[in-house]
Amino acid sequence: MVIDLKMIRKINMFRKAFAFTTPAFIILALLTLNSIADNIDDQVRKISYLLMCPVCQGQTVAESNSELATQMRAIIKQKLEEGESKEEIIAYFVNRYGETILGAPPTKGANWLIWILPALALVFGGAGIAIFLHKSKSEKGKEKAKEMLNEPRVQAESKYLEKLDEELKEFES
Amino acid sequence: MKILSIVTKLSVLLAILLLLSLLGYAIFGNRVFLKFSPIVGQQAGDFTLELFNGEKMKLSDLRGKAVLLNFWASWCIPCRDEAPALDASWKKYRDKQAVFIGVNVWDDKDSALLYLKKFGGAYENGMDPKGEIAVEYGVGGVPETYFIDTSGKIVDKYTGPLTEEIIDYFLGKALSTNHGITKDGN
Repeated sequence: MVIDLKMIRKINMFRKAFAFTTPAFIILALLTLNSIADNIDDQVRKISYLLMCPVCQGQTVAESNSELATQMRAIIKQKLEEGESKEEIIAYFVNRYGETILGAPPTKGANWLIWILPALALVFGGAGIAIFLHKSKSEKGKEKAKEMLNEPRVQAESKYLEKLDEELKEFES
Repeated sequence: MKILSIVTKLSVLLAILLLLSLLGYAIFGNRVFLKFSPIVGQQAGDFTLELFNGEKMKLSDLRGKAVLLNFWASWCIPCRDEAPALDASWKKYRDKQAVFIGVNVWDDKDSALLYLKKFGGAYENGMDPKGEIAVEYGVGGVPETYFIDTSGKIVDKYTGPLTEEIIDYFLGKALSTNHGITKDGN
């Protein structure tokens, strides 16, 4: 029998290569599957944070432990696994529960007011306070303050306060 | 000395009264009302309900009949309040092309069966363990009732306990919208 050494070497090389690469492939496959699962769970979490739990007070679907929220998370996961996009899933819930299910009102139509009004209130309120402070520091404001001090009721009050101060001083001494 | 004008005083008073009335409504107001639902006016989503008697019921098989779809739970007190009205109405409408379906949600089977034994519900009743039907219909609490007309379109949604008069009104509406569909649903 003729032993082909070259052939044996080749077979050994393949064996070694197979022994090294197979676990690597398995690990890679497992990591990929794990990352896909992680990715889906991550997406479920992200979408759940955008939706309000319909039976809870101020909690999102992600935060709530209610049975409905748990079921909604399962439905989101199922839809993601079926290949639906984030937008499609959100639209599915909005079509059933209305826009109130959204964590933040969409920036369209009259909803713009919700986003703009707080900023406008801050700007106009700040401007109002600034104008008031400026006016009260001005000469006109000082004159008005003097006028107010000259009013009989204020004068009577200040006389009464002066008397009270005097009596307190006497009492202390 | 005049600090605030009468107009300002009146506006403040009005604003306070408005806020108080809103607060009063939020605390004491009767919240049983017709809730706006985006699915009203749309074709009812099809589903297969596993009934407590082991049979299965498909909504699309009921085409040509008006459907009262009631979501309930054994722990829900208003559901107990509406149970006699549902039973009485079912007896009244069962021969009039109307089907009553009870969908038990967020519950366990034993409690649901005990509830049915105690409070009635002789019509078709089944469980929705995964909440798929509830979410499909946008259910946000119990009891909630959907009225589906003979063509399979959702015509109304009612939130809160039903009375016989309420059922008469909505089921009458669902039965009257014929859409040219015959008894056989063709």
